[in-house]
Amino acid sequence: MNKKSAAYIIGFMIVICVVFGTGVSVVHNATQDMLEKNKRFHRNRIICWAFLLPVSGDTAKDYAEAISRHIRIKSITDDNRIRNVYWRIDPENPAIGYDFSGMGFWDRIDGIIVLTQDLEKIINIQFFDQKETPGLGARIEEKWFTDQFKGVPIAWEKDVSDRVIIGRATGAKPKNQVDAITGATQTSMALKRFLNAELERIRALNIDGVFGG
Amino acid sequence: MSVDSKKIFIQGIFSDNPIYRQVLGICSALAVTNLLANTLFMCFGVIFTTAFSNLTVSLLRKYIPQRIRMIVQVLIIASYVMMVDITINAVAPDIHRFIGPYVGLIITNCIIMGRAEAFASQNKPLPSLLDGIACGLGYSLVLIAIAVVREISGFGTLLGYELPATRLWWHQWTIMVMPSGAFFMLAIVTWIARAKFEPKE
Repeated sequence: MNKKSAAYIIGFMIVICVVFGTGVSVVHNATQDMLEKNKRFHRNRIICWAFLLPVSGDTAKDYAEAISRHIRIKSITDDNRIRNVYWRIDPENPAIGYDFSGMGFWDRIDGIIVLTQDLEKIINIQFFDQKETPGLGARIEEKWFTDQFKGVPIAWEKDVSDRVIIGRATGAKPKNQVDAITGATQTSMALKRFLNAELERIRALNIDGVFGG
Repeated sequence: MSVDSKKIFIQGIFSDNPIYRQVLGICSALAVTNLLANTLFMCFGVIFTTAFSNLTVSLLRKYIPQRIRMIVQVLIIASYVMMVDITINAVAPDIHRFIGPYVGLIITNCIIMGRAEAFASQNKPLPSLLDGIACGLGYSLVLIAIAVVREISGFGTLLGYELPATRLWWHQWTIMVMPSGAFFMLAIVTWIARAKFEPKE
């Protein structure tokens, strides 16, 4: 067989594309269900962490159970977007959570922010998905960063862009300020920008009570 | 055979090291070394992919037409990388959340393409497999050396764990967090390694 002939080259290319394409497709199809389950597990886990829920174990079932016991979820339409609202149905630990998202430095960042019912303080913040620079902007997911938001009051009386400050603030460190990530200025600035914008939208939703509107 | 294996390993790790000798794969050496954990995952991905890509290219070397050999090599490398990416995402999603971006970068890592072209396309399967592992290990050693220095001086941690008594002795060396710190570290490692491991003429 003449390896330099066009027929051999084209034929070889077709065969190799089919073989390796099939290999990748087989692996992809074989793992579809697992990927779906993983996605649901991850989402449930993030919701549990955001609400600081007591969870009996570390399996997917444990997190799903904790959510069904403590949380009620409703999807609402907010300006052509579907936003989930989460209520913690526990009279001793009332809290309300909202999906929030916006453009980070590289791509969309999706998260959940849990607030006191009067929207005055942040209880916690967690991220579902982000594609920021690993080791830099991606560190927004790390515990040391998200823990900073616990108990931070939202300065509703200030301008929209200064209600929660991430990074440098003028003057002495105000109560509504958290540290940015060293080396991740753009991600920190983007997060500050869209988090404040989302908080403004969340307040405007005027949601009250379980399943209230 | 055992003499050949030893020679392949010594060459891949020291005398023909892909980073400081062949100057390949520099972009990821600069990008991932800010944290040691990220570096270790990248190294595993590179060792695995280089080894199996080398093996496959070597097995097919008598059949691949010369004119499209690079296209075929990229296709083989990309396929392996995608299979690894999908499998890790399914089996260990938490690990994948850290290494996902790096796994995709492996396709563009020049080391793998370079070894496929320079070694695997002209040698038998077993030596090619060993060469892939050796080059991956050589790459890993340099990256780990850089990452240890960068993480300690840039963040005061190692593998995410804070070092003892950092309040007493540690001040953040911000440049080590940035790519420029990686450039300096890479130059220093290359200088030391070439002085120490240069093959005697």
